[in-house]
Amino acid sequence: MNKSIDFSQPQRQSLTGILVLFANSLQKTVRALWPILLIWLVKFDSLNKLVFFGIVAGVTIFIVIISYLQYHFFTFHIDNENQEFVIQKGIINKTRITIQLHKIQQVNINQSLIQRLVGVHKFEIDTAGSDKKEASISAISHTLATILKERLINHSQQESFEIGETVLVDVVSTSFIKIGLISLVKIGFTSNYIKSLALIFVFFTTILDNLQQLNSHVIDEDKVTDYLDTLPIITFFLVVVGFFVGLILVVNLIRTILKYFDFTIQKNKHSILLSYGLLATKNKLLNPNKVQKIKITQNFFQKKLDVLTIGVNQASSDPEIANAKDPIEVPGCSMGERDVILKLLFSQLPQKGTQYVPNWRKLALNTFFILVLPVLIFIGTNYILHFISWNDLIIYASIFTVFTILMLWFSFKNYRFFVSEDFIIKQNGAWDIDTTIIEPCKIQAIETQQFFWQKATNIGSVNLSTAGGNINFTTGNYSEIKSLVNYWLYQLETTNKNWM
Amino acid sequence: MNEFTNNPIEINFLPKFEEVKLNSLNSKYVYVLLINLILILILVIAGFSALFFFKQNSFTYSIWAAVFIGILLFFIGLIVFVKLSFHRKGYAFRTHDVIYKSGLISQTTTIIPFNRVQHVALHQGFISRNLGLASIELFTAGGSSSDLKIPGILLEDAQKIKNLVSQKINPPKKDEPIEIQPNEPIVTEEHE
Repeated sequence: MNKSIDFSQPQRQSLTGILVLFANSLQKTVRALWPILLIWLVKFDSLNKLVFFGIVAGVTIFIVIISYLQYHFFTFHIDNENQEFVIQKGIINKTRITIQLHKIQQVNINQSLIQRLVGVHKFEIDTAGSDKKEASISAISHTLATILKERLINHSQQESFEIGETVLVDVVSTSFIKIGLISLVKIGFTSNYIKSLALIFVFFTTILDNLQQLNSHVIDEDKVTDYLDTLPIITFFLVVVGFFVGLILVVNLIRTILKYFDFTIQKNKHSILLSYGLLATKNKLLNPNKVQKIKITQNFFQKKLDVLTIGVNQASSDPEIANAKDPIEVPGCSMGERDVILKLLFSQLPQKGTQYVPNWRKLALNTFFILVLPVLIFIGTNYILHFISWNDLIIYASIFTVFTILMLWFSFKNYRFFVSEDFIIKQNGAWDIDTTIIEPCKIQAIETQQFFWQKATNIGSVNLSTAGGNINFTTGNYSEIKSLVNYWLYQLETTNKNWM
Repeated sequence: MNEFTNNPIEINFLPKFEEVKLNSLNSKYVYVLLINLILILILVIAGFSALFFFKQNSFTYSIWAAVFIGILLFFIGLIVFVKLSFHRKGYAFRTHDVIYKSGLISQTTTIIPFNRVQHVALHQGFISRNLGLASIELFTAGGSSSDLKIPGILLEDAQKIKNLVSQKINPPKKDEPIEIQPNEPIVTEEHE
């Protein structure tokens, strides 16, 4: 590998990167002006062609100049004296972003479709602990990106390995898990129903909205409703439901495959590299030291098909980032692959240990608020307003009751908390069962909570904060919780294990 | 009760956080809370009077009176609540961690080990400054949900606590003398 590049001197992006910058600016402009463009397209015939193309050409040239200037003024280098990575940019407003090398948390090399066409990569730096914006370089050649990444990661690693006593053997990066297309198809068919439903809903409402705005009759609404009216009500219902179920499955499948195509996990010297994506290849770096929380999600179908999803939260002290930032996800693992990944991140397989169950009052309380209260409100409003007949109401209410009882019962039955010496595991969920795993040494703060009426029944809750999200156990035996807290405090305060 | 089978330490002999004797907040702190409440009450009453003055005819006098009494009762309730919850607040600094307990309806106990504290800040509001009080805030990497703020501590105590915690976070090296800075500048922030 060519290591002779001197990063202490300011470096520019790849020259071909101007194209990427141009595409970005163009995209932004089009996005900002799309209502005007749409109107122009509709009224294209009545426009003065000369003025139209004149404006388009003018704007394009302007964007080209802006892109070149952006390229010209964008430089980055490593300041060896202060141990900082510096980015300077801006045409009129100069910006200088400095990131201390040891604060660098994660380096991502991504490629969008346009970047793939031009042959450059996007280089993103993620920091922990500061509210500074993440720095990114939008066009950099692959060799340069890899060398820069090595430099940055090595710097940030040095610090943590001075403390750690383990001597790491250099391992040549080897690909050891590859998620095949079949696993992705399985995951695509069995997860994210609600997300896709929301997506379809948003899509349809925007389309309908736009169509109505244009006032063009692409779809004759009357014809569609007329056609549907001729069908018997049951068939109509089945057609609509079938259409949506099919659409959700297809959208799910396409989304999953686009996002996670060719999912590869590689083990590097100190870290784990994930790369995936069909149109835009993404590279994400996982640092086992910085992993705070792991969530494994699996539902009934997925269990039968032997697939599951693993979400990994890394350390971030900015609460907004920590909450908003999606975990790094590994979709479509088999049980065996899950164990390999867990072993890699925790250096051993998590043991479940002692089991703790919630009090039956949790079920009672949830039943009251989720089942009894809504049904009572429903009956009450119907009693006053009479909007449906009592027969219909009984049918709806019983469907709702059966469904809710099943959900409540399963979510209560699955609500479990496990504590062993090295792990804290929480299991919850009615359909999608989540298993959240943290290590006691990653705990930042412990909070116990009890309502005054829970004192007599000895019930309480506990919430454990880590730098990558919280884990809590509610409506449990309070004396058990208190002794667990004492035990965790003992573990935290007698060992000096690093949490990051 | 469940026992840890793979645990060599007998869990019942570990120090118990729930049995630690907590220090109550300085009794002057209740004035800070009350003054804040009274300031809000004055604002509300001013708004109410303005409304009454300009829109007198909108309601009958009995409704105006009922609303006014309602506001007063609400504030009296709030004052009682503040006083009661003040007595439920307490903190303790142990060798390795800090405990803070609060809450009337829902009692919450937050515990942060010193080896997880990122930094510590000392705040003084306008009213607290005049009463010689300060509050200590401990920050961890767990985000705002796991940060801890202990109000109503005497300024000198707060400074001592701050120095103590700072030393716990960054233990001074053996060959360097411990620097105690009694007059170090205080971070002051206005928020009441």
